[in-house]
Amino acid sequence: MNNVNIRDSVRRTEDIRFVSGQGTYIDDMNADGQLVGMFVRSPHAHAAINGFDKTDALALDGVVEVITGADWAKLGFGFIPSNSAVKENTDGTPIAVPERSCLAATRVRFVGEPVAMVIAETLDAAREARDLVEVDYAPLDAVTHPVKALEPGAPQLHNGVDGNLCVHWELGDGDATEAELEASDHVVALELHNNRVTAAPIEPRGTLAIPDMETGVTTIYQSTQNIHALRAAIAKILRLENDQLRHVAPDVGGGFGGKNSLYPEPVVTVYAARNLGRPVKWVNDRSESFLSDTHGRSQYTTVELGLDADGTFRALRTTTIGELGAYCGTVGAFTPTGGSARTQGGVYAFKAMHYRARAGFTNTAPLDPYRGAGRPEGSFQIERIVEKAARDLGFDPIELRRQNIMPKASLPLKTAMGLDVDCGDFLTVFEKTLAMSERAGFAARAAKSEENNKLRGFAIAPYLECTGGMPKEHAIVTFSKNGAAHLAVGSHSTGMGHETALCQILSAELGLDMDHISFTQADTDATPLGGGHGGSRGMELGGNAVRQTADEIVAVGKQIAAYQFECEVGMVDFEDGSFFQPGSNNTMSVGEAVSASFNPDALPDDLAPGCMNIGSTFERGVISIPNGCHAAEVEVDPDTGVIDVIGFWIVDDFGTIINPLLADGQVMGGVGQGLGQAILEQAVYDGDSGQLVTGTFLDYAMPRADDMPHMTLDYYEGSPTEKNPLGVKGAGEAGCCGAPPAIVNAVLDALKDHGVTHIEMPMTPEAVWRSIHLT
Amino acid sequence: MPSVSMTVNGNAVGGDIEARTLLVDFIREHLRLTGTHVGCDTSQCGACVVHVDGTSVKSCTMLALQAEGCQVETIESLADGDTLHPMQEAFREHHGLQCGFCTPGMVMTAVAMAKENPNLTESDVRHGLEGNFCRCTGYQNIVESIIAGAKAMQG
Repeated sequence: MNNVNIRDSVRRTEDIRFVSGQGTYIDDMNADGQLVGMFVRSPHAHAAINGFDKTDALALDGVVEVITGADWAKLGFGFIPSNSAVKENTDGTPIAVPERSCLAATRVRFVGEPVAMVIAETLDAAREARDLVEVDYAPLDAVTHPVKALEPGAPQLHNGVDGNLCVHWELGDGDATEAELEASDHVVALELHNNRVTAAPIEPRGTLAIPDMETGVTTIYQSTQNIHALRAAIAKILRLENDQLRHVAPDVGGGFGGKNSLYPEPVVTVYAARNLGRPVKWVNDRSESFLSDTHGRSQYTTVELGLDADGTFRALRTTTIGELGAYCGTVGAFTPTGGSARTQGGVYAFKAMHYRARAGFTNTAPLDPYRGAGRPEGSFQIERIVEKAARDLGFDPIELRRQNIMPKASLPLKTAMGLDVDCGDFLTVFEKTLAMSERAGFAARAAKSEENNKLRGFAIAPYLECTGGMPKEHAIVTFSKNGAAHLAVGSHSTGMGHETALCQILSAELGLDMDHISFTQADTDATPLGGGHGGSRGMELGGNAVRQTADEIVAVGKQIAAYQFECEVGMVDFEDGSFFQPGSNNTMSVGEAVSASFNPDALPDDLAPGCMNIGSTFERGVISIPNGCHAAEVEVDPDTGVIDVIGFWIVDDFGTIINPLLADGQVMGGVGQGLGQAILEQAVYDGDSGQLVTGTFLDYAMPRADDMPHMTLDYYEGSPTEKNPLGVKGAGEAGCCGAPPAIVNAVLDALKDHGVTHIEMPMTPEAVWRSIHLT
Repeated sequence: MPSVSMTVNGNAVGGDIEARTLLVDFIREHLRLTGTHVGCDTSQCGACVVHVDGTSVKSCTMLALQAEGCQVETIESLADGDTLHPMQEAFREHHGLQCGFCTPGMVMTAVAMAKENPNLTESDVRHGLEGNFCRCTGYQNIVESIIAGAKAMQG
């Protein structure tokens, strides 16, 4: 037997195929009679299209079809939707959501925007034909900077969108915040930039659409994170019913938010397959991924912190400019508004807070969620301003934080941003992190660094975030007569290990052997609904859906057992995989109950054969509040500006930990992306031409193994949330909330004797060197 | 079209191919061995690492014709039936992978690294992975996997 429990570090089921090269990713799939699609993309950041000429492309051997933007416009399909949870501006007017066609017909607005699709018998033919599609462009002035885009006189992207402004929005009490700031002994302000980055999962996006001409159903295999919602969106654009499309994600090679959105390419691929009556496959290459994947973050922000002479915080005001890129993405305007505002203020107590955002359109790839989607921005803002306040006013940065952290006794509370913080012990988490980080030896280590002409620094950064994503999730358990169980879920792992963790929950709840549970995710035929992946929802929604389904299975099992025991249902208990009647010798294993569930003679009248096969929808009430603390120790070489992150310590409160091994993986991976944002990564557009300068892995600096420190992790497990039955709070995005401020503040600690008080991310060697030597 | 012949995972293979065919495309498209992955187009990510005559090579940096007569081993060659190679087992034991896309390249790089130096230190491994990207793990568990896998390969 291989029974497992919650909190066991169960090794992953899916790893056996992944380490053997037996995973099936989108580019590993091929269908009989398959055609290959490729996209012609705009070389201009902004241009009018005067016309297309596809004659030469169509004449090439092996080319089957070319669909231009003009062709697409004639088909009269719908536009790419945007579903921002923030739909109105502060004044009640609707936010601007310009139309976005799957293939641009008359105007392009960013480099890489698809303008035509070529479909050919082979990849080589498609590639050659792509270069033969002629598009007559008339270039227009472009703007790629989110602040400049909102200035008077900036090139305008969309007719009917004044000043490129998509949304202006605020949260919190502006008057109270103003009053508290005025009453403060000190107001410390900081302007900072949250750098534009991209998710860059190692597997590029792709789609294989296989039409069944007899049934009229097209099966879409796609490297995505969100199959149910995207099926509905694709169907709506193509004017189809949902059940004319089956949407399946095979193994997905990473997502991090970058595969949440509906992109144009899969829509056109599905259309092409249905129209040609043959399977069509399209897979991006890496260069196309940089151009056409959504980017994330990108905010220019002013933060103001008001505090008393003794260091007590009074008020926080955040004024930010975000950007949408050329069009509203799937989540669109939400990230720089609600997504960033909710967790303002972090773990600290404030009398008042106010958040104000404007976000507009730029001639760049659309921005949409990237791991954290606003919470890392909020976390960075609060931890940077607290650090600055400490430095400017002569407080110890550790002590100032300790003094202002919300005490446990103040919970539950609703923050000034309306966030429902139910439980946690932020101070204990903070102290635990500090204790782990070997502060006692720091002075000696710093002295040693100095001997080597290096500068050593330390910083601690508590964070508070929240979950998000679709609030419903579905799980179905189907038993075979031999007791084997099949679990199907609508949540979606793109690497997080749900195939293990969700089966682990089912095994633990029902006492089933892990080896007797098989698993399906991300198939619209397998579950009636599904929220996919996003907002650290995997365990919170998927896990609780499995738990709820298991509870319902147990309830039915009790009826079956009671019928056999000839007792009242209320007299049957369930534990460790067995139904039993206390005070009697009556017992029935889950396996026996499953077997009985298929035998009409073993069932009471109100149960039908197969009655233990149950599907259940779990609905979240209120989002959970993961929190934790990161600490970083760094060494800076003042001669080169190179940063070496030497030590990294993390304590997280994710509530109940389902599988510590997998939770560790989520944390460390998030820190990797957070470190990348802090010191390496930035998506850069040339301000004049609008070209993406960082268009390959040679230019876009991804963290490598020797950029990363050894991380020491622990958990605080004293506050499982009561917001959901499992008590989980979500683990996926925490790493990139804590790491950037911890690393940036540690570097500034190292440079404090050089008078350096601020460096923008990414803290490249050049930026660090300049701050030391040229300011 | 020129013809090519080589030994891949112990099997003699060959065929007529366009001269421009990369080794990775020959492996994936002609031999349908899809464990070797393509994650970039500038030879940076290392998802396509295979062994050519015992040396780890990014198979996107080599034309298939350049492997004429060579012994090529891919990720599919490592396990012995249902028994994983010690390095594969170490990656599973130490949670050295998440989405799995970079994993074949990581494992093939690791096996070559371990053959060269069975007593790998953390620093050796981190520097040895300079040609391989992972976006999921933060690398720590990959490093631990490789150190453990290298030890296990000796036993």
